[in-house]
Amino acid sequence: MLIREELCVGCGQCQPYCPTAAIGFQGMKSVVDQDVCYECGTCLRVGICPVDALAEHPMVYEYPRALRKFFSDPSATHKATGIQGRGTEESKTNDVTGRVKPHEAGIAIEVGRPTLGMGLHDIQKISQALARAGINEIEECNPIHSMIADEATGTLKEELLGERVLSAIIEISVPKERVPVVLQTIKEVAKEVDSVFMLDVFSTLGPNLEIQPDILEMITDAGFNWRPNAKINMGLGRAWE
Amino acid sequence: MTHSLHREGTRDSLERDYVVFIYPARGFNYKGNQPKVRHLVEIIYQNEPVNMISTSLRQNLYSEVPHEDVLDSISNGDESTRVYSCFKNRENIKQLLKDFKEADEGISIMVSGLVDRVRDLAAEVGLSPHTINLSLGIQGNVSRLPPPDIRQFTTMCGHGVVSPNLVRDHIRKVKTGRTTSWDASVALAKPCACGIYNPYRSKEMLDDLTPVYTVSRW
Repeated sequence: MLIREELCVGCGQCQPYCPTAAIGFQGMKSVVDQDVCYECGTCLRVGICPVDALAEHPMVYEYPRALRKFFSDPSATHKATGIQGRGTEESKTNDVTGRVKPHEAGIAIEVGRPTLGMGLHDIQKISQALARAGINEIEECNPIHSMIADEATGTLKEELLGERVLSAIIEISVPKERVPVVLQTIKEVAKEVDSVFMLDVFSTLGPNLEIQPDILEMITDAGFNWRPNAKINMGLGRAWE
Repeated sequence: MTHSLHREGTRDSLERDYVVFIYPARGFNYKGNQPKVRHLVEIIYQNEPVNMISTSLRQNLYSEVPHEDVLDSISNGDESTRVYSCFKNRENIKQLLKDFKEADEGISIMVSGLVDRVRDLAAEVGLSPHTINLSLGIQGNVSRLPPPDIRQFTTMCGHGVVSPNLVRDHIRKVKTGRTTSWDASVALAKPCACGIYNPYRSKEMLDDLTPVYTVSRW
C-alpha cells in the first residue's frame, strides 16, 4: 500500500488499522513503510481515509512482492490453490474429499499467526527442519509447496527470502505413527523462529465426537496441550461431481 | 485458514461464540451448488447470526448491504461461494444445525466452538461429526505477541487483520466516552474480511476491560 502525499491530510486515522504498524507519521503526513507493509489491503478496504489518499503499491502484483498480497489479503485468490486464503480446504471438506483418512493425521503450522506476520525465512527454517527429519509430505496443493526450490533440503527459492507475509500455512498429512516425529521436529524448530505460529492437528472422529485416543496421547507425549475449542466438520457433505 | 479454532478468551466468554462455515469442496461438489448454498444462507439468516460474510461479496452483516444482494452474489463453478458466519446463542446454533440437517444439501458444514458444547449439540440434533481440527496453541517467539487481553479480540478475526493497535485505540475511545462499546465492536468487526468477528462478545469484553484500563494522552 502507499499513501499519496499530495492528498494526505495527516489525520492519522488509517494508522491503527494496520496489523503490522507499518503506517506512521513523517512530518505532518502518514506514510507506509514499504519494507514492513504486508500488502493485506486492510487500510484501503475499510475505507477509513477521508480523502482517498490510500492506494495499491504499483508493484503489488509483480513477483515476488505479489506473494505479500496473495498470502496477506484475505480477499486475494492464490493462483496455486484457487482459494482465497493461505491454505487449502484441509479439514473443512474432509467429509467429502477424504483428504485425511482415519489412519492418518493432518498437521498445520500457521506461521505468523496470530497477527504478527513473518519473513519467509521463518518458513524456510521450518521447511528445512522438516526435511532434515525426513518429513516431505507437505501438501502439494498448498502455496508453500510451490515456493520450495529443493524438496530434499526444504530450501525456498532464493528470491523469496526477503519477502514478508501476514501468514502462511504449512500443511502436512502423515500416517498416524509419524505424528510424534513431526511434533517433536516442530517443537525443536519453534525455538529458532523469529515469529510465532499456531499449531493444528486434525483427524477423523469416532462416534459421539470421540477424538482418537492415540492422537491425544501423541500430542501429550510431545509436550503439547490442546485448547478446549476446536473446528469440527459436522459430516453433512457429500460428493456429486 | 479462518483460524477459528484458535480464538482466545475465557471459557465463559467462549460459551457464547460459535463460528459456522458453509464450505463446498473443489472438484467434488462445486458444480450446480449455487441453489444449495443459497438455501443454506437463507437458513443462516433465519437463525439470528451475529455476523456473516460470503466470499463473493465480502461485506459483513453490519455493512448495510441488503440480504438480497448477498444471496444474489452467490455463485458456483470455478469461484464457488463459501460462507462464514458467527452465532452467540446455543439455541440458535442448535436450531441452525437442525435446519441444515433437514435441508440435506450435501455441502460441508464446519462449526468452531468449545468441543464439549459442539459434542452436546451434535448429539441433540442427531449429527455424526466427521473430523476435528485441534488447536495446540501458539508456539515460537511468543514474547513478541500482544498480551492475552488484546489477543482475545484480535483472534476473533481469522486472518489476523484486526490489529492490536485498533483494539487499543477503541478501548481508549470507549474509556474517554468518544464511542460506545457496541459501536466500537462494530468498528472492530469491519476489517475482518471473513466475517467471523463476534461483536456481541467483543462488547462484553470491552465492558469488562475498559474500567480497568488507564488511558494516557493520545
